[in-house]
Amino acid sequence: MTAVLDAPAARTGHDTVPLTRLLAAELRWIFRRPRTLAVLGLLALIPVIIGIGLTLVDDNPSGGGGPDDGGGALLASAVNNAFVLPIAAVVMSLALLLPLASAMAGADAIAGETAHGTLRGWLIAPVGRGRLLAVKAFGVATVSVVSVLAMCVTGVVTGLIINGTDSLFTLSGTTLSLGGALARILLMAGWVVLQLWAVGAVALAISSWTEHPMLVVASVLAADIVFTILGFLTSLDWLHPFLLTKDWSMAPAEVLQDPMGTQMLGEGALRAACYIVIGLSLAYARLSTRDG
Amino acid sequence: MTSTTVESGADVSSETSAPAVPLAARTRGLRKVYGSTVAVDHVDLDIPEGAVVGMLGPNGSGKTTTIRMLLGLVRPTEGEVELLGRKMPDAAAHALPDVGALVEGPGFHPFLSGRDNLLRFAAAEPRLTSSGIPSAVDSALERVGLTVAARRRYKGYSLGMKQRLGLASALLVPRKMVVLDEPTNGLDPAGTREIRRIVAELHAAGVTVLVSSHLLAEVEATCTHVAVLQAGNVVAQGELTELLESGNAALLVRTPDAEQALEVLRENRIGARLTPDGVRADLTATEAPRVLQVLVGAGVAVHEATRARTGLEDLFARLTESTGEGSE
Repeated sequence: MTAVLDAPAARTGHDTVPLTRLLAAELRWIFRRPRTLAVLGLLALIPVIIGIGLTLVDDNPSGGGGPDDGGGALLASAVNNAFVLPIAAVVMSLALLLPLASAMAGADAIAGETAHGTLRGWLIAPVGRGRLLAVKAFGVATVSVVSVLAMCVTGVVTGLIINGTDSLFTLSGTTLSLGGALARILLMAGWVVLQLWAVGAVALAISSWTEHPMLVVASVLAADIVFTILGFLTSLDWLHPFLLTKDWSMAPAEVLQDPMGTQMLGEGALRAACYIVIGLSLAYARLSTRDG
Repeated sequence: MTSTTVESGADVSSETSAPAVPLAARTRGLRKVYGSTVAVDHVDLDIPEGAVVGMLGPNGSGKTTTIRMLLGLVRPTEGEVELLGRKMPDAAAHALPDVGALVEGPGFHPFLSGRDNLLRFAAAEPRLTSSGIPSAVDSALERVGLTVAARRRYKGYSLGMKQRLGLASALLVPRKMVVLDEPTNGLDPAGTREIRRIVAELHAAGVTVLVSSHLLAEVEATCTHVAVLQAGNVVAQGELTELLESGNAALLVRTPDAEQALEVLRENRIGARLTPDGVRADLTATEAPRVLQVLVGAGVAVHEATRARTGLEDLFARLTESTGEGSE
C-alpha cells in the first residue's frame, strides 16, 4: 500500500503546465462553441449587408450627411468607396454589437464556467488564480480581435468587389493606394480592438463577481447605453473624459482624413488602457479570493 | 487515527497520540462561516495514507464544504488544512497535482463531447505531458466504461454517464489521493457497484480515497475508515470496524432456555435482555467467554453465540441523535 505513497512530497515533475497549453485549450474551447461562431459569422455579414444595401440605394441624398452623427455621415460616405465601407461597418457595430461580442466572451469566461461547474475543474488541476485570469483575458482579447478582423476582411472584400480598387478615397478627397488604405484600416481596427479589450476587461471584472453570465452581458450593455446617453448631456461635460464610449463614433473617422488626425484616437486609446488596467485589477482582486 | 474516537471533543487534536500511520490529509480546528451561517466548525479530520475514508453526514452537515476547504477551493475562516503534507490553500500548486477530485457533481461543457471535455481538463493537469494527454484521456474513459459514448456530446449524457465522466476526470493521472463527493449520485445499482470496484482498485494500489456520501450502505461496503459529520461537526471518526463495535458491545445468544439464561446472567451481574430467539448479553463490563461460561455452567443450552454487530445505520442514528441534545 505504500509504493505510491512513500514517494517524497517534493517529487520530481512539474507543478504547473506550460502557459501555452492552457491558452491553446482555452482557444479550442472558445472557437468550438457554436455561439461564438454564430456571433462571429453575423458580425462578418454586417459589412456585406451594408455594402449591398448601399449599392441598392441608387440615389443617395449626398448633401444630407452632417458631421453631427458619425455613423450616419460615415455611411453616406461609404457609397462607392471601398476604403470607407469597412470602417463605417465597424464603427456602426461598435455602438452595440461588437461590445456585445466582447461582453459575451467575458461572461462565458468566468461566470459561465462557474455556472457549469467547470471552473472548479481547472482550479483543482490546479491552475493558479492569476494564470487563470491571464488565460481568460487572453481568450476574451482573442475574440475581440477576431470579431474586428472578420468585419474588416469582409468589409474590404465587399468594398473592392462592388467598387473596385480605384475607389479608395479619403474624406479629404485624396486617393489612397491599396496598401495605404489597408494600413489605415488596420490602424482603425487596432484602435477598436483596444476599446473592445476595455469592454472585455470590465466584463471579466463583473464576471468574476457573479455566476450568472446573463448578468454580465446585461450590465455591460446597460453601461454602454448609459455611457452613450451621458455623453449626450452637455451639462455633464466634466464627466465625459471618463466615459469609455466618448468619441467611439467620431475617433475612427480620423483615419479617413488626409493628413490623418490622431488626437481623438490617442485620447481614446489612453482611456481604454486605463479601463483595461482597472478592469483586470478588479477581476484579479475578486478571483484570487473567490470560493471555487 | 489508530485509536478510535467517538463523541470527540477537543482531545483528538492533542499532540500526545502521534499517529502511527502517516496522514494523507488532516485538518485542525477547521471553521467556515458564510455570512451568519456556520457551515463547518471545529473539524479535526485525520485521513490516514492508504485508507478509504467514508465521510458520512446528512445533507447540509458540512461534507462538501470540508472537502472544498481540503482542496483549497475555499479559504477556511479559521483553522488549518494539510493535504499531502502541504499547507492549503497556499501550497495548492504542490499538493493538488497528485490529488484527483470530483466535487459537487460533474461539471462539463454541454456542447463538447465527453472526450473533448476531458481533453480540456487534461490540458491543465501538471503531471501530464502534452503528448501524453490523448492516451491518458482515453484510458480514463475506458476505466469508467465511457469509451463508446466518448465522442458524443455531453449534452446528451444520462446522469450516470455524467457521473462517470466526472470520475474519469479525477482519474486522469495516477494519484496519491482521490476525493469523491457523492460519487454514486444518479447511478443505477450497476453503476454503484462499478464505483465500488474503482474505489477498491484505488485502495489496492495504495491510493488514499475520501468518499463523501449520505448512503450508509455504500460507505459500509467500501470504506476502511469513517468520519461522521453532523451540523458542521465531526461527531465520530476512526476505523470502521472499531466504530461499529465500540458502541454496542453485546453477545447474541441463541437458546431455547431464554428465561433461564436471563436469570442466570442477572444473578452474575451481567446485563441482558430477551430477544426473539434468545438473549442479548451486554459486554461493556464483561467478556464473551465469561458469558458463555456462566450460561453453560448453569446448564443453559447454547445453540449459537455471535458478537452483535451494529450496522452503520444504527451507529449513525445514535451519533446524530446524541449530538442533538449534547453539544451545541
